[in-house]
Amino acid sequence: MKKMLSVLLAAMMMVSLLAVPALAEGDQVLTVVTWDATTTPYLIAQQEAFEASHPGVKLEFVDVASQDYAVKATTMLEGGDTSDVYMIKEIDNLINWQAQGFAAPLDTADYDMSGFKGTEVNYAVDGVQYAIPFRSDFWVLFYNKDLFDAAGVELPTNDMTWDQYAELAKKMTDKEKGIYGTHYHTWLSAVVNWAVCDGVNTLADKNYDDLLPFYKLYQDLEDNGVCMSYADLKASGLHYSAAFANGNVAMMPMGYWYVSTLIGYNKDGTCNFNWGITAVPHAEGVAAGSSFGNLTGAMINAKSEKKDLAWEFVSWLGGPEGAKATASTGARPAWVSEDVAAVMSSVEGFPADETSKGALLPSAVAMEWPVAEKVADIKTVVNEEHTMIMAREITPEEGIEEMNERVAELFE
Amino acid sequence: MSQAEARKVRYKMGKLERKNTLVAYSFLAPNFIGFAVFTLVPVICAILLSLFEWNGGDISKLKFVGLDNYATIFATKKVAEKGIAYFFNRADLGIALKNTVYYTVVTVPLTIVCALALALLLNKIRGAVFFRTVFFFPYVSSMVAICVCWSFMLMKDGPINQIIMALGIDFNKGWTADSTMAIWSIILVSVWRNMGYYMVLYLAALQGVPRELMEAATVDGASKWQQFLHVTLPQLKPTTFFVSVMMVISCFKIYDVVAIMTDGGPGRATKMLVTYIYDEAFVKVRYGQASAISMVLLVIVLAVTIIQFSSEKKFSND
Amino acid sequence: METAVHSREIRKDNPTLRRILRTIVWVLLIALAVFTLIPFVWMISSSLKLDREVFAFPMRWIPETFHWENYSLIWQKVPLITYFKNTAFIAIVVTILQTLTSSFAAYAFAKLNFRGRDALFLCYIGTIAVPWQAYMLPQFIMMRSMGLYDTLWAMVVLQAFSAFGVFLMRQFYRSIPTELCEAARLDGLSEYGIWARIMLPLSKAAIATLVIFTFVNTWNDYMGPMIYLTRDINKTVQVGLRRFIQENSSDYHLIMAASLCSLVPVSVVFLCLQRYFIEGIATSGLKG
Repeated sequence: MKKMLSVLLAAMMMVSLLAVPALAEGDQVLTVVTWDATTTPYLIAQQEAFEASHPGVKLEFVDVASQDYAVKATTMLEGGDTSDVYMIKEIDNLINWQAQGFAAPLDTADYDMSGFKGTEVNYAVDGVQYAIPFRSDFWVLFYNKDLFDAAGVELPTNDMTWDQYAELAKKMTDKEKGIYGTHYHTWLSAVVNWAVCDGVNTLADKNYDDLLPFYKLYQDLEDNGVCMSYADLKASGLHYSAAFANGNVAMMPMGYWYVSTLIGYNKDGTCNFNWGITAVPHAEGVAAGSSFGNLTGAMINAKSEKKDLAWEFVSWLGGPEGAKATASTGARPAWVSEDVAAVMSSVEGFPADETSKGALLPSAVAMEWPVAEKVADIKTVVNEEHTMIMAREITPEEGIEEMNERVAELFE
Repeated sequence: MSQAEARKVRYKMGKLERKNTLVAYSFLAPNFIGFAVFTLVPVICAILLSLFEWNGGDISKLKFVGLDNYATIFATKKVAEKGIAYFFNRADLGIALKNTVYYTVVTVPLTIVCALALALLLNKIRGAVFFRTVFFFPYVSSMVAICVCWSFMLMKDGPINQIIMALGIDFNKGWTADSTMAIWSIILVSVWRNMGYYMVLYLAALQGVPRELMEAATVDGASKWQQFLHVTLPQLKPTTFFVSVMMVISCFKIYDVVAIMTDGGPGRATKMLVTYIYDEAFVKVRYGQASAISMVLLVIVLAVTIIQFSSEKKFSND
Repeated sequence: METAVHSREIRKDNPTLRRILRTIVWVLLIALAVFTLIPFVWMISSSLKLDREVFAFPMRWIPETFHWENYSLIWQKVPLITYFKNTAFIAIVVTILQTLTSSFAAYAFAKLNFRGRDALFLCYIGTIAVPWQAYMLPQFIMMRSMGLYDTLWAMVVLQAFSAFGVFLMRQFYRSIPTELCEAARLDGLSEYGIWARIMLPLSKAAIATLVIFTFVNTWNDYMGPMIYLTRDINKTVQVGLRRFIQENSSDYHLIMAASLCSLVPVSVVFLCLQRYFIEGIATSGLKG
């Protein structure tokens, strides 16, 4: 009995040690809910730049684990959380939060949104803006320059068709040396999202026949050992960031966000080869430089008590000033302008060649997933069939038929 | 006890019944109050939620829909058109049910047998402490680390497949990417992880087997196997009941291992009831439907538990 | 002594057969132990590699260079000490509360007769059967309105009163003969006395089991702390580990190192409680 009491007392003392830290005096504090707050370079840069240009305001990041961001943020909002700003990881987050009444409508009457090139529409519902994008990632093709030089093969260009890309990958594959011509991450987006680059097809248009050529291309490459097999990748959990950094992969289509990761790897020595980027290959009849991408944005909590201050931050974040802070770390902001592009290419560690610079200006960026009815259910169905196709449990034709059928059922 | 004495005792008990009930409630109170407030109330909310449509937001957004959620998850319209095969082959709930039941039916006996065998072996052997700690390790480690590790070991050309090939069986496919073997990778990891846990339970129970009984059996000439069947096993009945009920419940609720190792795939080969619930609640934000699926789970588990419960009462001496 | 001699005479003696059986048993045990330890060997090996070496194929069991610095990195990169402190607090408090209240309540279910006993018990079991994902949201909204959000006490309160402990202790109590309790009642002992002087001492192994299980479950709990704890100073080890998995990269070598460190306190608890499983407790108070 005595022992238990003393343990209890010790425990209660520990609790008192965990008291709330002292508040800063004088400064106004804006709480921003986001993910990976301490390890994401652009967040740190944004915080510094904003606090510098807005004296008397401090930003406090509420850090949520990236994998569980949607669940935790939604739960917090559901419980009545009063944090001022919530960052948007996927467009679905905002659509849900707006429907649930957690997003404050934004007054954008006097706000210049021309630099967003129309992408801000994805965050608007019934003509009212609910969030401002501040990052727009699109997909590019990464390549290992040293491997190409060593093999004496011509470098990829900003204007390649998918067939040319496949040829190049096959040329670069060297089984003896353990070199893979290309690397596909296990996501649906890495393998077949290219179908939406023509700006006509989407992943929610209930017809998936346009995915067939891409599945066939992938399987041809996998069968010839040009890329690592899906089954192995899925089981081993090898992350694409490590796969490319290992130095035995010649090319990899991936999102632009990987640029800042690679720059970081170069700095800390994890990866020590020369690399570059080009525009992602395009299908016949589609313009060179077409890609697809995603948005990251910020919204204001309807329950925030500092909505004006929050709007100052959110509008700054997406606008040209915030964009420059974001670009300085190698990330691609949503605001497109000459100034911003100049900042992007002048980031230390960014490849210096003209091709890479050219890749910074895609001709068209479609959305990875459109804002559509029942898109969450469609995503589940399409992803399930995707895993079946990739695991070779069914042929691409069968898988696509299933997709068509099951998605049609959703709307009956 | 003679008949007269027995009647006297029963009479006494009748008079004290109210006092006994109060005393019993006082024993229950500390645990029950905390349980009621923090667990029972939310569970009842969840049960009621299955009759509503709620996609998040204010409580005012709740809409009463009666049994509509159940109609949706059981795909009643489609089943009426295309028959029951549709439910089990193409409806999410049917597939999840199939997988979960298959997984439970295999894992429960497998784990119990392994756990009991280990407990018997490690009861009085030399070096018992070392082995017990080793077998308990899997339960104690972080789920992420275990799943990542096992996933890696079950790859094509991985160590497990190499052992299988060495045994002469021609199988070399990655387990998690194969629709038939994916569920076996979950089963394997679960049994591996849980046998140490239930082994500890059985070890504790074995301490309670009266030595006199064992010695009497030996004196009577019973072989070790007969001792086990007729003395040990019956003494372990309460524990076996506990183990089987808890195992059925935890098998029906399997989530972590599936989410990390296969994510329900390939396709829907390892889609389980709770991964389905998680999906409905947190990805598609349909809390009402998620609750309805939980109710289906609850009903099935309760049915199984009640059957086990009544058979326990029949054979016990209380 | 007599009994032993007796049994040897009676039983059919075949020393060779027994030796063979024993060897087989030992071989199987060792094989199973190796099988159980392989993933840990992999974890140890991965914890000493660089992140991109962890999943390199073919698998290297012995790392090229031993990166011992990983073990100091994990304490620097994230406030692991704070996480350990928090987790220890929660685990200890929950274990004490669970054990006390559960063994108390279990006595009523196992040995006392009262109205509604079986129905109430089924109700307890029923709540274990409902997956937490289903009632997480109503529970969260309720806890938040009680002001328990982002506090360690929220975690304590969520887990200290579970039905699991009650169920476990009830089963153990059922294996204690009722005659003991009745004899004590006739001697004039109150029910509380019976609980303290008879049930508790006889169920040391069961209590040790409950302590281990509660401690381990609380130590390794992820979903609860993830939802309820937000500020960094409140986070637990499992939640803290996830900081090594970022949106676009993961530090698996650090995750493995931290997981291994997290294993230590729990193993210590387990080893300390082992002696309750070795002492054979004769429950035959009937002897006199």
